Amino acid sequence: MAGPVLRAGAWPAVAGISGVAVVVGGCGAAFPAAATVLFPICFALLAAAAAFTLDEPASLVVDVTPTGPVRRTRIRALALLAPLAAGALVMLAAAMRGLALPWAATGLALAGNVLLGFAAACVVRTRTGEPGATAGTAVVLVLMAPSLVPQVARWVRTFPAPGAGGPSSDHVWWIVLAVCVVAIAISIRGRSLPRWMSSVP
Amino acid sequence: MTTALAPARPQTGVGRTTFVALAAREMRRFVVNPVFLFAVVITAWWTWAGRGTAVADIGLVNAFTAIFLGGFGMMATFWLTRSMRASDPVVGVTPVTLPARTAALCAVAIVPFGCGCLALIAFLHFHSASDPAYGAFSPSARIAVVAGQIVVPSLGGPLLGVALGRWVRFPGAALVLFLVLWSWVSLVTVVSGSHPDSAPVAVLRLFAGFTFFALHSDAGGVTAWRGSPWFFLGWQLALCAIAVLVALLRGAEGRVRTRIIRALAIAGVAALVMLVLAAAGGFTHPVTA
Repeated sequence: MAGPVLRAGAWPAVAGISGVAVVVGGCGAAFPAAATVLFPICFALLAAAAAFTLDEPASLVVDVTPTGPVRRTRIRALALLAPLAAGALVMLAAAMRGLALPWAATGLALAGNVLLGFAAACVVRTRTGEPGATAGTAVVLVLMAPSLVPQVARWVRTFPAPGAGGPSSDHVWWIVLAVCVVAIAISIRGRSLPRWMSSVP
Repeated sequence: MTTALAPARPQTGVGRTTFVALAAREMRRFVVNPVFLFAVVITAWWTWAGRGTAVADIGLVNAFTAIFLGGFGMMATFWLTRSMRASDPVVGVTPVTLPARTAALCAVAIVPFGCGCLALIAFLHFHSASDPAYGAFSPSARIAVVAGQIVVPSLGGPLLGVALGRWVRFPGAALVLFLVLWSWVSLVTVVSGSHPDSAPVAVLRLFAGFTFFALHSDAGGVTAWRGSPWFFLGWQLALCAIAVLVALLRGAEGRVRTRIIRALAIAGVAALVMLVLAAAGGFTHPVTA
């Protein structure tokens, strides 16, 4: 069962965006002065790649098969290894180039970015068969908000830049991870809305 | 006595009326697009919030206008263009050709271009062109710098979105391109900071739809980099023309296709010439003022 479910995934999108993320992150590793700008963009791209893992063009057929959403989502979650591996590759390249990044916090940010993209896709998947574009865009805009609106950066940091003041990104990512786990658990059980809202009066 | 009358060309009038109607329709769809509305609101807020505050260099302020009106405008027109794909079986049998519909979509870029013009006027009102934050450029070059950083990206971004929407099927293409362009501009700016005298680095820095011409120096003052702002404007406008022509090429047939390809070649050559002139003109070395 896992094979066909995985084969039907939007692999060109996941692999393509992960590839672009590796190139962007690789440039960050090659030019350390640009790393603090390029690494957050690289991680945002990986979050977008994660959002495409649940795309199902044949959802009208697939959604009525006996394989439930929990099992299908669990199998599709294996595809998250692609963006995670891409992120790990970029971090390895940065470490080999001697970049002084807080590696534990960077790893947590990578996991948080990818899980956020996946959680957003899970939530949007309850409404549409191809949540990638919508969820990916929403997640990228949220992740890039500190760069787009400098006032946001005073309160929230999504990437652990070395030596920067302000709040730690770790707190943000631990909270995001917890919220994502809850959102995924609720959405794959088909409860996109509270019970009182889904009932017809 | 008989009078010979030249035959009227009713098709031209009908075609123009159809185009105006289509363009108005697309413009109505565009102005209510939530992404574009968000971009306009945040650009207005950003411009208003920056009034009266001293800036280290103008590029850091203008980059946000380019990101919102240009980058977000690109995503909005990409989705606007793609949204018609689902109705292609119906729209495809109407007597309007695909290039005509594409031209109507391209006309939508007038709206963000107008917003960019307003943002430029507001910027010049709040940050006078005699401000030292502009760097060592002449008064006319300063206007060219801000026009190239605010107005032309507001036009080029949405046009690029239409071209992308016509040719690329992947729904996340605009988002990925937006991040790639952002990465490119960031990367070449950082490299220019460390190699300000290098001519190849200057060409790389100008090889984009948006570029910084001056940056605040850590030692004090503003360092103006190599390159001619006026020729860079020409390069940007040539890129806009290329985006329109590439978008129109989709679905074009016969003589129209031949003419578009010919115009594309001319625009490509013009863009190349402008890029070379932009890199060769202006200051030949960085100037800190």
